[in-house]
Amino acid sequence: MSAFDLLMGVLLIASALAAVTLKNAVHAGLALVANFLSLAVVYFALEAQFLGWIQIIVYAGAVMVLFLFVIMLLFDAKADVGLDRLPWMRPLAAALAAAFFLALAYAFSGVGPVNPLADVKLGGGLPKALGGLLYGNWLYTVLLVAALLFAATVAAVSLVQPQIRKARVKPQVLERDRELEEVGK
Amino acid sequence: MLLLLIILLPLLGFAYLGLFGKGLREPLPGIIASTLTGISFLLVVAALFAGGGSWEIKDWLPGIPFSLVLDHLSGYMGLVVTGIGFLIHVYAIGYMHGDEGFSRFFAYLNFFIAMMMTLVLAGSYPVMFIGWEGVGLASFLLIGFWYTEKKNADSARKAFITNRIGDLGFLLGMALLYSSFGTLSISGLREALESSTVLPLSLGLAGFLLFVGAVGKSAQVPLMVWLPDAMAGPTPVSALIHAATMVTAGVYLIARSSFLYANLQDISYFIALIGITTAAYGALSALGQWDIKKIIAYSTISQLGYMFLAVGVGAYWIALFHVMTHAFYKALLFLASGSVIHALGGEQDVRKMGGLKKYLPRTHLHGLAGALSLAGFPLLAGFWSKDAIITATLNYPFGGTGLYVAGLTVAFLTAIYAMRWYVLVFLGEYKGDAHPHEAPSVMTIPNDVLALGAVFAGFLALPKPFWNLIEPFLAPALAHLEAHEMSLGMEWGLITLSAVVALTGLYLGYLAFTRWALPKWYLTFQTWSENAFYVDLVYNVLIVNPLKELSEIWALLDGLLDSGYLALAGLGGWLGEKLAWLQAGYVRVYGALMVLGLVIMLVWGVLR
Amino acid sequence: MSYYLLLSALLFAIGLYGVLARRTAILIFMSIELMLNSANLALVSFARSSGNLEGQVMALLVIALAAAEVAVGLGIIVAVFRSRESTSVDDLAEFRG
Repeated sequence: MSAFDLLMGVLLIASALAAVTLKNAVHAGLALVANFLSLAVVYFALEAQFLGWIQIIVYAGAVMVLFLFVIMLLFDAKADVGLDRLPWMRPLAAALAAAFFLALAYAFSGVGPVNPLADVKLGGGLPKALGGLLYGNWLYTVLLVAALLFAATVAAVSLVQPQIRKARVKPQVLERDRELEEVGK
Repeated sequence: MLLLLIILLPLLGFAYLGLFGKGLREPLPGIIASTLTGISFLLVVAALFAGGGSWEIKDWLPGIPFSLVLDHLSGYMGLVVTGIGFLIHVYAIGYMHGDEGFSRFFAYLNFFIAMMMTLVLAGSYPVMFIGWEGVGLASFLLIGFWYTEKKNADSARKAFITNRIGDLGFLLGMALLYSSFGTLSISGLREALESSTVLPLSLGLAGFLLFVGAVGKSAQVPLMVWLPDAMAGPTPVSALIHAATMVTAGVYLIARSSFLYANLQDISYFIALIGITTAAYGALSALGQWDIKKIIAYSTISQLGYMFLAVGVGAYWIALFHVMTHAFYKALLFLASGSVIHALGGEQDVRKMGGLKKYLPRTHLHGLAGALSLAGFPLLAGFWSKDAIITATLNYPFGGTGLYVAGLTVAFLTAIYAMRWYVLVFLGEYKGDAHPHEAPSVMTIPNDVLALGAVFAGFLALPKPFWNLIEPFLAPALAHLEAHEMSLGMEWGLITLSAVVALTGLYLGYLAFTRWALPKWYLTFQTWSENAFYVDLVYNVLIVNPLKELSEIWALLDGLLDSGYLALAGLGGWLGEKLAWLQAGYVRVYGALMVLGLVIMLVWGVLR
Repeated sequence: MSYYLLLSALLFAIGLYGVLARRTAILIFMSIELMLNSANLALVSFARSSGNLEGQVMALLVIALAAAEVAVGLGIIVAVFRSRESTSVDDLAEFRG
């Protein structure tokens, strides 16, 4: 564990905590952005350069912006303030999270040593290396994900369509219109 | 059939008057009740002339039939009950005039007659027990008739509870007899006992237990404490129930079971001892009372003691003879007292009476007749029956000279207190401030009839060589114990002796309470007597108060138990409250539950 | 490497806390994103330790999926909460009972 690892760890944890604790939604969103950016840096350090760029572009650049748009749209900035109807949920959640972490930590403690030839095999995580896999074994998966994205787009658009109401016309008017039509024929 | 009617008619009266009596105007309820009782009396007479009768439901309970039997014994008793009962009903029409519970009173009186007749006509012990309990209930209802006064309700409760103690004995005795013989029908038991040569060991215990029942019902020592308090009820009640009929039920029980007691020498001797003790206690306590009815009440306790003395020595028919004469003169004394109380507008303290001879001439004659009969004035009814009892202590197999002497002494005391009652009420100067007026004829005519009985009823059974109508009449229903034959001279000598004793007592009483200044030792004795020798106090300290404390403790524990259960029930509510979060629809709760499940699975998977 | 795994576990736990403790739909959603990212971190570190590139491929596809999911999720949030006053998740209690 080097100083770099330590620093990145601190950044990640601090921003994550800020994201789940801050009362102002916009501030929480910004903290999350910080978290994603730190994560991208970690990806670079872990020989996953393409992934790191994608993380910055998609997550920090598109997803979080979308989040902030919705917060603004719903005037939700001061969202998490006010009467908490389940005050006992906080300690319970903390306890559950702690239990979860401990269990996982215990599970991860038995993981084996690092392959010394790893860096070479990864090829830095560049598109050249990834491409072979993506368009090779994983082609169908990529196509499926593309279809999924398409479906998501359609769904998102249709969810926010405003409802078109039919104009309510008086029955006498309808009746008169029909008579006029009859006469007109 | 006929027998059932004897019971059902008054019962019908009770039901009808109980349900609809409120709407009837006086004196209609009284007339209805008296008529029904009168018809019952006539039915008893008719049944006796027809030679008796019986009615039965076989196997009402396993091995026990529900049977009613009218033989000479129950017919005799039935005549006393319905006859005197009828007279008292008529009297009560006058006495209860103006009372707002008029119809309720007569409903209860009819109920009593019905239950008493059930008791008398019973052919098996459980049926008798039904009547036994029924008269106890009637007694409770009637003693506490004016229930708005706490004292009356308390007295009613006291009577009922003390009776209950005796009833336990009755029940246990019945159970013992049933387990020994397999049947509780009286004729069946009689056959079984008279035919068997070997008697079961439990017989003595059964006899003792049945006697305990009699002790409670007939106010013998130590369960006599309820009778003086029962005077809280209206006077006709005291006359009917606590003088003439209910209290003699114990005597009737022993007489009915005479075939049992004839075999139990020790138990019979014990009965005689209790009898004479009670007689002495009653007489001694009567000397100090200042309430006109309480004097008569203690006198009743004393005379009941005489009856038990008679059954104890084995003279069953004599006890029943005394039942009849006592019914006459005691009812007369109570009803005369009732007329006095009615005349004085409710006054019951004899210290505020006196000189009523000139204001209430007819009642005065009634009172005189009753008092003389009670004292055993020669040739009156009380004289013949009491003397028969005292003589029987020498004649009969279970008797003894000690009992004779004691019996004679108590007779002497009886004469003294009877005279005291008469003197204080009727002679001297009137010490009160009411305006005494004679009672209406609806009250004096029944008293006239009773007075005739008090004077002449003794002539039904005279000692030899004169006629005795009662002994042979009752003999088939009773056990036969050989009376030791006494020579004629000896017998009449003893009769003269008791006559002398009675007259001396009467004279002494007259002098003591009119002329003499009473000596100090007598005054101290009088205070003791007035408080009935503090028996109530002793009972309270030894029995009643500890029981009350115990019941307080139980009540406390019960309350704790209740709160324990409430808490347990509350637990269910608390749990429900907590579990309601599951159903409240909060998404986060569902999420938390999911995470909980996840954590559990993870931990389990990791630890495997 | 186990350091990054622990880190990812910790981030996941923090995200879990956020999902349960936050009351607004938007903020819950953000915590879900945090959880997804921690899973990605785990994938990448495994890829690194074993020299197998397929971990990174998976992480890439996860990112694509997350993008789709965000689109739909935010659409739902907007649709549900546009006509209501508050965005508190506790008010969505129509599943009561």
